[in-house]
Amino acid sequence: MRSAEGRGRTLDEAVDAALIELGESRRNVDVRVISEAPDETLVEVVVIDQATAPAGAASPANGKAEAARALVEGLLKHMGVRAQVTVRTGTDPITLDISGRDLGGLIGWRGETLRALQSVTNVMFGKNLAEGERVIVDVERYRQRREHTVREIALRAARQVKMTGDAITLDAMQAFERRAIHLALQDDPDVGSSSIGEEPDRRVVVGPRKPASN
Amino acid sequence: MPGGRAAAQRIRKAIALVNAVADGAGDEELTPTEIAEAIRDCLELREIAQGSNVRNYLGEALDATSDGMPADFVAMTLYAALGALGESWSED
Repeated sequence: MRSAEGRGRTLDEAVDAALIELGESRRNVDVRVISEAPDETLVEVVVIDQATAPAGAASPANGKAEAARALVEGLLKHMGVRAQVTVRTGTDPITLDISGRDLGGLIGWRGETLRALQSVTNVMFGKNLAEGERVIVDVERYRQRREHTVREIALRAARQVKMTGDAITLDAMQAFERRAIHLALQDDPDVGSSSIGEEPDRRVVVGPRKPASN
Repeated sequence: MPGGRAAAQRIRKAIALVNAVADGAGDEELTPTEIAEAIRDCLELREIAQGSNVRNYLGEALDATSDGMPADFVAMTLYAALGALGESWSED
């Protein structure tokens, strides 16, 4: 995997310096900010392994992802947010990763601002998307981490349900988190999941798939 | 500002419903009627002043729901209402 470090007065300058050294374009690399000071930014730029990219790198779908990436990059620029936007490879639907420093404000309370940004992106980009197709926006892998966490919670709850036979009600979760739990348990023959309550306090209940009967 | 908090809570509830549709949570079928009811619950609050931006955005969201606009559009309009509510707090 080829990589290079770049220094510059701004993030863009630092990335450009590394790109020149690598002879690559921005769309082919992942950027990691190593340090950022008022007078100098240091980044590591890693060339994305094209061999692991999904088939049809020049397909219309990839052109669509690049267009969505450019749209979000423009939105962030207008918002005055300094960040890098990359297309996550090998994912369906199109997933855009935003990375940079101090992006907590872009995530917001319980991911609210991130969700709003995703809604705006889908409305603005909607004419380019097929029926049911959507763009997922993630900041510093927040959404991915949350999905991973709730899947772990689901599997732990499932183990407990199998031991005790009692149903467990989890904390209130957002729709994409509940979906991750349902997907995590859908193939479990013994444990199932359902949701109860009203938004925004809707919770997943993990319980035995069939009531015990002798 | 308890009234403002109640309004924010109701708008967030409507947003959560719309997001559940957009994300396909897969745990129930939500109908546009339920979303419209949640938005009407927001509009019933007297704390949201007549002619305010919050009320205008909520009205737009209700119209969008009735017109069968995409869930993301309704969500965006509701986020705008939430933002306008926050702005009205900071002006107080």
